[in-house]
Amino acid sequence: MDQLNEQVGPAPGSTVVEARPMNMAATLAICSGGWLVPGLAHVLIGRWIRGIIFAACVLLMFGLGLAMHGKLYDLEFDQPLHLFAFIANVGAGVPYWIAARLGWGIGTMTWPSYDYGTTYLWVCGLLNYLIVLDAFDIAQGRKP
Amino acid sequence: MIFSHFTALVVFALIVSTVFALITKNEPREQFRYGVFVFLSFLAVAFAVGWIMYPLPL
Repeated sequence: MDQLNEQVGPAPGSTVVEARPMNMAATLAICSGGWLVPGLAHVLIGRWIRGIIFAACVLLMFGLGLAMHGKLYDLEFDQPLHLFAFIANVGAGVPYWIAARLGWGIGTMTWPSYDYGTTYLWVCGLLNYLIVLDAFDIAQGRKP
Repeated sequence: MIFSHFTALVVFALIVSTVFALITKNEPREQFRYGVFVFLSFLAVAFAVGWIMYPLPL
């Protein structure tokens, strides 16, 4: 078995890049930044291109959702099911708070693309959660 | 802004498949192939569901 391991090991002269995990505090700080500003987590761990593409995707989707008169959900305790929509929306981070502050995302139900806009706003937040989890895995050395 | 249903679907599929491909795969070639696969899958499923729902009185 040892012989087999030696055979499948790295070739002589090749460089093996070992992913060193960051400490948990730094990882959580990076992930928090990535949640607040989409794509920032990947930029902070040196994945510039990925970070820029992720930021473009999330922000484009968020902008299109607002442009299509989608609705941004607020935290309302009298409507328990709206909690899920709020969690999805708040995944977009700072753009959500800015849009809410500016009074955007009221949602015009009579607008033809209202449903699509609302779905765009949900999905961009959910995608940002996935992006943050991806950054967490990279920072912890679980993923190259 | 008013998108047609199909345009909204295509833009949605394009963005989501891009993110999925970058998250799931590591090599650029794999990412491209997987992204195209997910994008086409979105369109195919949408067409299939659309045709299945066509006879329903909605």
